[in-house]
Amino acid sequence: MSKIKVIPCSGIGKVFGLLARESVLMVTEEKCPNDTETLCLAHVVTGDDEVVAKINGKSCITMDGCAKYCAKKSVEETGGVVVKSHKVPDFMKAHRGEEHGTGTALTQDGWNYAEELAEILAADVKEIKGGGDLL
Amino acid sequence: MINNKIGIISCSGEECLGGTISRLAVRKMMEELKPGMVSTLCLPLFIAGDGGEREFAEKYPTIAVDGCSKCCAKRAIEKYSNQVAGSVDVAEIIGEDKALEKPLSTRHLTDEHHEYVNKTAAITCQIFDDILAKQ
Repeated sequence: MSKIKVIPCSGIGKVFGLLARESVLMVTEEKCPNDTETLCLAHVVTGDDEVVAKINGKSCITMDGCAKYCAKKSVEETGGVVVKSHKVPDFMKAHRGEEHGTGTALTQDGWNYAEELAEILAADVKEIKGGGDLL
Repeated sequence: MINNKIGIISCSGEECLGGTISRLAVRKMMEELKPGMVSTLCLPLFIAGDGGEREFAEKYPTIAVDGCSKCCAKRAIEKYSNQVAGSVDVAEIIGEDKALEKPLSTRHLTDEHHEYVNKTAAITCQIFDDILAKQ
């Protein structure tokens, strides 16, 4: 059975891209390493054969940094099945007033928020596996 | 809003260490080496073609900073806009095997990784200065 693909946007200009990236790494490297893997969005958007083969028709979760939804749209265009899609600002309400850092480095508040995002992703993984919807 | 006249696109690849280094090297350019002088363009947005990024790279010199020898950023610029003004391949700087190691959280960066970032940023900076000198 293939692993769930968890793919962040690769935004570089603002902290949201780094939050997306770090939360995904927490899931694929620490929380759910046996059930998930990440793929390079640059390879997805350039249509790299190896990555297209891995993603086509498979369960994917995306974490975008902004409302352009580059990760979600790119994965869908490549044939991936986006089972869950999130964007970092969606969960900001409880974090108003916090400084999360920059596109280079997170503050402690930023790491806490990344951890929260990672927990959301990990819950998605559990739900997808438990529901028997894994493609 | 793009105000500066030299662009940089980092692949920011999520699948290997080279992508992590490319991202951090470009952030170093933005924050330390050429603050206020660098317009960073988001690779997925650039390829999607709806944010003005392609038009920028058609008009103004743009440098590609890629994490591996697939050179996604360079190929994308040349496909959708124009010849790159310069190109940096992290794999050529730190070695292909090292570049293809697992991606890294910014929490786990070592002195060795910072040295890779510094080397990559220095080479990018040299290309930037050469372009500036010709303008």
